[in-house]
Amino acid sequence: MTTLIQYLQYFLNGITLGAIYALIALGYTMVYGILKFINFAHGDILMVGAYTGLLTYTALLGDSTNGAWMLIAFFLAMLVSMAFCAILGMFIEKVAYKPLRNANRLAPLLSAIGVSFILSNGAAWIFGTQSRRFPYPFDDTPIVIAGLSITPHQILTIVVSIIMMIVLTSFVNKTRMGKAMRATSLDQPTSELMGIDVNHVISMTFAIGSALAAVGGILASFDFRVSASMGTMTGLKAFVAAVIGGIGNIQGAMLGGIILGILESVGAPLLGIPSSLRDAIAFAVLIIILLVKPDGILGKNEREKV
Amino acid sequence: MRMKNVLVLALVALLAVFSVSAGGASEEDANVIKIGFIGPLTGDNANYGIRCSNAARLAINEINEAGGINGMQLQLIAEDSQGAVDRAISSYEKLAYTDNVVAIIGPVFTSPALAVAQRCYEDGIVMITPSATHKDVTSVGNWVYRTVPSDSLQSEVAAHYFYEVLGYRSIACLYAMNDYSQGLAEGVEEIFTALGGTITSMQTCMVGDRDFRTQLGEIRSTNPEAIYIPNYTVEDAQILEQASQLGMSIPFLSSDGFSDPEIYNLAGDFTEGVIYVGPAQAEASTLLSDFQEAYSAAYNGDAPDSFATNSYDAMYILRDAVTRVFENGGALSDIDAFRSMVNDEMKATDDFQGANGTINFAANGDMVASQGVYRVENQTPIYLGSFQVVDNHIVQVD
Repeated sequence: MTTLIQYLQYFLNGITLGAIYALIALGYTMVYGILKFINFAHGDILMVGAYTGLLTYTALLGDSTNGAWMLIAFFLAMLVSMAFCAILGMFIEKVAYKPLRNANRLAPLLSAIGVSFILSNGAAWIFGTQSRRFPYPFDDTPIVIAGLSITPHQILTIVVSIIMMIVLTSFVNKTRMGKAMRATSLDQPTSELMGIDVNHVISMTFAIGSALAAVGGILASFDFRVSASMGTMTGLKAFVAAVIGGIGNIQGAMLGGIILGILESVGAPLLGIPSSLRDAIAFAVLIIILLVKPDGILGKNEREKV
Repeated sequence: MRMKNVLVLALVALLAVFSVSAGGASEEDANVIKIGFIGPLTGDNANYGIRCSNAARLAINEINEAGGINGMQLQLIAEDSQGAVDRAISSYEKLAYTDNVVAIIGPVFTSPALAVAQRCYEDGIVMITPSATHKDVTSVGNWVYRTVPSDSLQSEVAAHYFYEVLGYRSIACLYAMNDYSQGLAEGVEEIFTALGGTITSMQTCMVGDRDFRTQLGEIRSTNPEAIYIPNYTVEDAQILEQASQLGMSIPFLSSDGFSDPEIYNLAGDFTEGVIYVGPAQAEASTLLSDFQEAYSAAYNGDAPDSFATNSYDAMYILRDAVTRVFENGGALSDIDAFRSMVNDEMKATDDFQGANGTINFAANGDMVASQGVYRVENQTPIYLGSFQVVDNHIVQVD
């Protein structure tokens, strides 16, 4: 029998998974909010972020086994990876999406899928197709309290995700750039008339979303390992999380991510079905949520006024 | 309109040139004996396919240097299946119909092997898999051979070893939903239960899953003495690491998938103490050490896994069969008859001496073999001996 303490354990594991999905979902939702466009290359940016983080970390670390330096190197690697992905994100937008901004809605979507393949095939070509470990920058011995175990990397994942979300929320709500983003997402032509540099806003959106994906990619490497294909499934799930929460809505993306993570962890034992069906269960629940609330949990029901 | 016509004409002309040159090439190839290989050369499990094709290529190079067969050189045509059934079938079709290979080594994985075995049977082509262990692979027609022991043999020895030698009375299984893992897990479940043991939990996952904490939690609540994980390296590595993260100290048992050294790159010290049933170690022979040295020298110091050794042996068994076909008057010009004669000569294999020791085939094409048991210490497998099940009891052979 599955005991209460076990459910708590699954719940805890689900939150760690969900925190990663949430970080990545933010990128989808921000871009959608402003451009009404799904950036399908976002999952592969997280893969690039994971590789950049891994390479920088190993290079910085060298042969050192100094505990403090390992942590510093890890966070430095995270910063380098965020910067690299931010630039990559802006570059992709300029090259592959901006020229198509006024084209048929399907054109940028296909362009995004193309970019996704270029990134994942490119990574497979450069790094090979085998999974790699991201070494823990600290002792990852689990901490067991009252039969519940949590590892330092899980705590790190949750803490970093919470910090990122707080920073992002206050950035969007409190700064001029954040205000410009909100304005652009509401009404792009009017914002332009009001003197907002929409191109700059869009670039920033891609930069921030990609930097968050880099963090998500590095955190995901501990649980999923680094590989050229790691972005595909993780990206897809994060996209679903964004839709569930209400795409275009930042709080919704976080909520959607956490819900999806918990569903994956708890769903199978709760219903007493084989764990190999975990994705099927999670997605079935998501379909139900969407049937009840097509705009997602926190999505606004915006109807065209006649 | 006229422009279009010109374009079409140009295309037709181009095609004609290409087909002529392609025809010319096959004329020149008439003096080459082509051997096909199907296995994952890219993707997460490429480690298995690359090592197997490397070993087959090494054998072919050695044979060619020694003068080839009947004065002809051998050529290995390796096709990438990515471990997937559909890709394996298109690889097969290219090898069988375009390249006109005399026999196929592979596929490396069970699911593609089951699919390709059916086609080999329909078309009359010998297939030798170095690694597909599902018991049903050789039950498709009589054109399929393997230089790896069948699952039924492996799960029989495994269940008896866990019950009789290790003394476990209750174990749990965590296996991926593919033919290989499921076949082994269900085989062990059946035999372990028949012996009087209890399977406390049968947990499943999908290939490609990276989070096994829920399954491990479920298993922990049933309190088994050990956990059997008959999966490929990526999944097994992740399971071992996450079990440790959950603070579990239950011993792990595994299968021949664990014999790939990639597991030590991925799981490191989490492999400590794992006991796995895999191929029996060959009698100490210079053939094995020579092969390992030659492989390592040819492939940048890489160490061959057990499947690579099987693949190397498969190539030499095939060489012997093809040699006898030529002695009996076979000719490549009639490829169907030639393939059929290869099958007859494969069946005639008698006490072949290879890197894995003496190899014989049972009537269904299965290798006659005992099983080895290993325990991992300091990221190195320690050989515990080789075993067979005789009269429902496990017997140590050496």
